[in-house]
Amino acid sequence: MATAETDLAAELARIKQARVVKSFCYTCPWQCPTEVYVRDGRIVYHKGNARAPNNIGSRCAKGMASWWVTEDPDRLKYPMLRTNPKGEPGRFRRASWDEALDFIAGKLAGIKEQWGPEAVAFTCHHDPNTVFYWHLLRDLYGSPNMYTHTSGCEQDRRSACLTLFGHVFPMHDFINSRYVILWGMNNLGANQGLWESRELIEAKKRGCKLVVVDPNFTETAQKADEWLPIRPGADGALALAMCHVIIEGDLFDRDFVSRHCEGFDGFREHLRERGYTPEWAEPITGIEAGRIRRIAREFATTKPAMSAIFKGSGYYTNGADAGRACYLLDAICGEVDKPGNLVLKDWAPLGAPVEIPEDAKAAPSKDPLHVAMGYPLAPDLPNSRLPDAVIDGNPYPVKGLFVQSSNPVMSDPNRDRVKEMFAHLELAVTCELFMSETALESDVVLPETSFYEQAEIRQGMWKGPEVVLCQPAVERVGEAKPAYEIVKALAEKMGFGRYFPYEKWEDWGELVMKDVPMSLDELKEQGFWAGEMRYHRVPEGLPTPSGKIEIRSKQYEDAGFEPYPVWSERSVKPDADFPLQLTHSKLSMHCNIITQNNPLLMEICGENWVEINRADAAKYGIEDGGYVIVESPKDRIRILARVVEGLVPGCVSVRHGHGFGHWAMGSVARGRGAHSNNLMETHTSPVTGANCYNECKVRVYPAQVRADSRPRRR
Amino acid sequence: MQHGFYFDHTRCVKCHACEIACKSWNEVEVGPRWREVVKIESGTFPDVRAMNVSMACMHCGDAPCRSACPVTAITKRAEDGIVVVDPDKCIGCGFCTWACPFNAPQLSAAAGKMEKCNFCQTPGRERPLHLPRACEEICPTGAIRSGPMTELARLGRESAAARLGSMQGLPGLMIQAQQSFGSGGAD
Repeated sequence: MATAETDLAAELARIKQARVVKSFCYTCPWQCPTEVYVRDGRIVYHKGNARAPNNIGSRCAKGMASWWVTEDPDRLKYPMLRTNPKGEPGRFRRASWDEALDFIAGKLAGIKEQWGPEAVAFTCHHDPNTVFYWHLLRDLYGSPNMYTHTSGCEQDRRSACLTLFGHVFPMHDFINSRYVILWGMNNLGANQGLWESRELIEAKKRGCKLVVVDPNFTETAQKADEWLPIRPGADGALALAMCHVIIEGDLFDRDFVSRHCEGFDGFREHLRERGYTPEWAEPITGIEAGRIRRIAREFATTKPAMSAIFKGSGYYTNGADAGRACYLLDAICGEVDKPGNLVLKDWAPLGAPVEIPEDAKAAPSKDPLHVAMGYPLAPDLPNSRLPDAVIDGNPYPVKGLFVQSSNPVMSDPNRDRVKEMFAHLELAVTCELFMSETALESDVVLPETSFYEQAEIRQGMWKGPEVVLCQPAVERVGEAKPAYEIVKALAEKMGFGRYFPYEKWEDWGELVMKDVPMSLDELKEQGFWAGEMRYHRVPEGLPTPSGKIEIRSKQYEDAGFEPYPVWSERSVKPDADFPLQLTHSKLSMHCNIITQNNPLLMEICGENWVEINRADAAKYGIEDGGYVIVESPKDRIRILARVVEGLVPGCVSVRHGHGFGHWAMGSVARGRGAHSNNLMETHTSPVTGANCYNECKVRVYPAQVRADSRPRRR
Repeated sequence: MQHGFYFDHTRCVKCHACEIACKSWNEVEVGPRWREVVKIESGTFPDVRAMNVSMACMHCGDAPCRSACPVTAITKRAEDGIVVVDPDKCIGCGFCTWACPFNAPQLSAAAGKMEKCNFCQTPGRERPLHLPRACEEICPTGAIRSGPMTELARLGRESAAARLGSMQGLPGLMIQAQQSFGSGGAD
């Protein structure tokens, strides 16, 4: 069974008569290093890079199936220009790169002239080489509004980490942990870093206790020693009550909080004054007070331990403080950035791919949108408020939007409003692999290459400092280009060509790697560079205002919010007409909106579904495997129902809500499953600007019952 | 020496990577599923349990599919116990699909033949037995192992190893037993 890993790759390559290209997978943002086996210009196998700590040779289903994108007949092959008015389903004609980029450069000049450079914004999800666009549109054109997709993702977690620890993206050192509480985080099911999945399973084998707090009995809850089936949107109450138990029981780490935390004593008073006791939390959370006490004590007395969140708690308007409260469990128990804790990961010393002199850089005259919108703590654009800027000019007009490898028409809540936004844009550019739903609403669609057809050097998503490389493995599809070539060509049209002097990707690759202790040539051989993993940031001082973990947040206070986490109810609650809370959870074999045109993955899961507890199903006449209507005050969808035991009564869970129900993208994806994002109105976290996908009440009834026989909408 | 799979369901997170790895290495088209991950749920809210199982051909000692095949297309290799189907002989009648208790034989609509897990012995891309199978190599949590059953037995508990010592006619699969798994309402 045992074979040296280097021999393995060579032997597999020999059997497959293939050459091996070291690369990374960019199906999801965890970027596993890979070995791609290429024969006659086709990918005939691939696996994880056996030496990389991220995945040690393994892959997930999405990654294994991702080669399909290089042969998908539905890929965009040419630049496309819109031929009909906005607001109608888009019709397009093929254009040359020259014509398409001339059009964009002309519009950009006009918008800058009339509205200023800040009237152009940029958003992306998978951000392949996004930095090139940013150097052009931010540094040279002058817009401060370069954003990604975080408000639809872990915005609240990111904000909590930044304000508490001064770190944007902590990792999880599961392997060394003895007690782990995960809040609304399904890392085994939604497949985040594969090393995290493996380490959590290994830790379990070594006796680590796992507690999962989630309304859904997720794949992660399935592996837990205890599943706490909490009511939706109540994580903050539970976490605050646990903090109360730990502090009043004198179970906190006195030395740690006095040396490394700011505001501990005030927090103790805060919890007392507000009365955040287990008895108070019991009716809110649905978890018995005795159980809250026991788990809090276990957490505080088992070391090392970890309390971690990802997206779930952030899908409600009270998610920001819920996230902070979950992390305060780590802080008060002295469980931060030590073995078995959240790890404040070190980053690799990557350089910029272009060198733009300071005196050539444009100075923005206005605040970036998130600040102007009143979300100074937002780590990324509050996407759900972007339509306000475009449609209403609030806080200032946005007239141009670049969308790269992202699909806000499907991914943002309140689809109607997002589509309306696109009709108001003077310039909407979508850089994509497919004619996506967002591309259909755009003026120009530019075909980008997939990660198998281009180069990229990025920060790795392992817990130590790491660089990962992706390099071209197969020929490009049609006239598709990588971002670095698109930006270079567009920069030339805009008069900035001299700042993008590279001829081939290795030219900018050398610049990016200049401070990394590995040459670009060696990186091409190895596929990644990994440095030493260290636990050192807390004693060395954190990049927070006090240099400590801010239990009392100065940033919150300065922004006009409560400096300590407070409990507030979520915004939307079920009522007699709409008696169920809509929630969302993800699937392991699909990544967001981008994998539904892959027949290999659609064979495993070809449509999404809504889960409903058996007791609720009986009440509303829902049968397992039947189709139902899920109706909110705003819209309704027809979707497959699954009757389950593993879900808190009173809510339903759409598994993979906005990834299905494509009406564009490609022939495999189109018409499969249901798109749930028009059920909700726009709800935005008041602190972080996160999209609140679960702020929605619904009723559910069998699809064969005619809609007009149901109570009328009010 | 009988080869087979070892499966530890306490590790399996139902990510389905093994299914795609199998398809990718053996170049199987969409349709036949040589390997499939299923979830078995039990209990009532809030005391719910679930177990994932990655299923493929078990390469049975006394393979029912082989007995059911009217044209002797299915054989069990003497040297390693791997059950293979000869596509030149297979007439696609599907009798094997009725005989197999594990739903391992898959009828390919395109080829009009039965196909199934062949332990990565697809002609032209045979994986030597000292290497991991594709499903095993890709599994992020190490839930699948392959090898001679006598070696796999060491991965299991001693009692299981003792039983396997005399396995004649049993499926070539070991499943890791689990003492306890996910449940709520512990108070």
